[in-house]
Amino acid sequence: MSKLTPNDFAIFLLAISTMLILSRAGAELGKKFGLPIVTAEIVVGVILGPTLLGNIAPHIYNRLFPFASNAGVSLALDSLFSLAVIMLLFVAGLELQLSQVLRQGKLAVFTGLGSMAAPFLSGFVVAWFVPQWFGIDRSNQFQFAMFFGTAMSISALPVIARILLDLNIFRTEIGRVVIASAILNDLAGWLLFSFILSIWGPEKGITDISHTIIYILAFSVFMLVIGRIVLNRILPWIQSNLSWPGGVLSLSLGTCLLCAAFTEYIHIHAIFGAFIAGVAIGDSVHLEEKARDIMHQFVTNFFAPLFFVSIGLRVDFIQHFNVLIVVIVLVVAFTGKVFGATLGARLAGMTRRSALAVGFGLNARGAVEIILGSLALDAGLITQPIFVALVIMALVTSITSAPLMLYFMQREQEEE
Amino acid sequence: MDPRGLKGRSPFPFEMIGVMVSLSAGSEEVLAEAGYLANIFGARLLLIQMGKQTTKLQTAFDTIYERTGTNIQEAARVWLEEMTVKALLTLCKEHSVDLLILETIQREGVLRYYLGSLARGISRAAKCSLLLLTEPKVGGTTFRKIIVSGVSHPKTSLTLGTAVYFAKQVGAHAIAIVTELDQPTLSMATADMSTVDTLTNLKQQIVKDEIERIHGIVECCHPEGLKITEEAIFGRLGYTIRQYARNYGADLLVINSPDAKYGIIDRIFTHDMEYILEDLPCNVLIVHSRNSRH
Repeated sequence: MSKLTPNDFAIFLLAISTMLILSRAGAELGKKFGLPIVTAEIVVGVILGPTLLGNIAPHIYNRLFPFASNAGVSLALDSLFSLAVIMLLFVAGLELQLSQVLRQGKLAVFTGLGSMAAPFLSGFVVAWFVPQWFGIDRSNQFQFAMFFGTAMSISALPVIARILLDLNIFRTEIGRVVIASAILNDLAGWLLFSFILSIWGPEKGITDISHTIIYILAFSVFMLVIGRIVLNRILPWIQSNLSWPGGVLSLSLGTCLLCAAFTEYIHIHAIFGAFIAGVAIGDSVHLEEKARDIMHQFVTNFFAPLFFVSIGLRVDFIQHFNVLIVVIVLVVAFTGKVFGATLGARLAGMTRRSALAVGFGLNARGAVEIILGSLALDAGLITQPIFVALVIMALVTSITSAPLMLYFMQREQEEE
Repeated sequence: MDPRGLKGRSPFPFEMIGVMVSLSAGSEEVLAEAGYLANIFGARLLLIQMGKQTTKLQTAFDTIYERTGTNIQEAARVWLEEMTVKALLTLCKEHSVDLLILETIQREGVLRYYLGSLARGISRAAKCSLLLLTEPKVGGTTFRKIIVSGVSHPKTSLTLGTAVYFAKQVGAHAIAIVTELDQPTLSMATADMSTVDTLTNLKQQIVKDEIERIHGIVECCHPEGLKITEEAIFGRLGYTIRQYARNYGADLLVINSPDAKYGIIDRIFTHDMEYILEDLPCNVLIVHSRNSRH
């Protein structure tokens, strides 16, 4: 078995500590300007990566992040980043509470469906008819169109929750509808994306596709029905009989990795297993808030910065910046999402201005979009210019969401 | 079908109280409770006689009425052959029942819970208020410790008004209003809060806002003579108040009726009222607002 040399291991540790310390410093600085943490983390990645440090001081960049020159360190860092994305998806699942969708009923279902269907269709249609705008080969047209539709339809639940809290509408009807619809968006979006990743690649026939659909549905139903019942029985026992919070953390993280390993084994991406495990565990009423908080904090403050900084390390944002793609992505993202969500909310009985506020609230893509894009880039589903456009779109939609929501809510109040 | 114009009418006072009469164990106790409450509320009793109408069955029911001291002269009697949720609800609607009293067990077996018993089924779909009694007594249950869910919802003011009315009529002296604040969603929103102090201050502000909101509603319910306490707790909606009611040793938990008819999916992905129906912490009064305004 090949091992890292002491020098390689030192570089590996130095790279991680640099990413963690600088991303924290950036996040704290960004907060003063009201920027989401993820923005600061990506900016730190851009500074440390090929875009800036790689151009200004290539010898320092290559020494600190020797992706090209040192296979051992590169593999170790890649493995860590892969684990980070699995943990991020696990926490994304933990945050989804299906009960919130059921509580909001018709309003959430209509808004959720509208905010998924319209952006998905608009994204799919644009990618299907003009793939050349994105530099995509016609042979990959279908998978790319599916991905692009999914990327347009997803929402960023944590960012949205934070926006609602900042606007003090967290517990209003608009807030509840936005959260419930975002849950639906995320659940459907990750299911669809897992399907796309599973069917991506050469020699995938109809049988493979149908098997993939069956596996995804069977695993989801099993974990969300049987798995949840079992977890609801085990969790109280663990919490009262094993060490606290060690017992719950071991069970939760162990279940996450077990499910990730299983889905990877059956040729569905590991993120899917982690995500569904998160939904099943997070939905349990027996999961104590402290345990949920520990997992959340650990992932948010250790794995998330590593992952988001790594994005800037892998891509040259200046070299791969393409104005046309950025504009197309922004236009499709804004129009599809806002139109679909507003229409859904209107059909469910909301007033026009409130429905528009819901539409702009759901428009925030944030970290979720970036994770999605990063996985698609790793899988070779998209090119670097598309990825850069998706990152820009995620940041722009997250930053503009709050002021636009506020504008329409104020207009609503003025009308009243 | 709506003889007294129930739609839009306030859920209280209770003018017609419905109760199911059968030969099963516990029926006499529920009947006695219903008679006792009808007397207190000055309501008319609707005796829903379960089974096919026969002289023999009527004689058996008459014996029960005699034993429980039910005043059948002032009560209305109807037969219900079909023991289904739909048939019972139709009957309640036809007779303008304001409050339906049912006996129910505290916790049902897994299979029975998922398939849905009559009492639970009615709780999920009723168009009138329901009183679920876990341990009905011939001498009448004493309702001293009453907890009301003060969840942020348009129906809550009516539920609170009904609880105040109920408490005054049954001679309770205090009501605890408990509002639940969704902890998991809040945790997600505050994951990147700057400091512990910021988070603590935010939570304190949320609690303060909630208490003020409840206070505003209570003032409109004429709670004179009752000691009202208000509390806001973080946790999962439905589950947290269930645990609170159990620990508090409540005699009655008063909650809103669901916004829509609950189905099997609500039992699989348990939420809100389903947490309470899953394992009743005490007697439960589900207030149906009938889309009225307080």
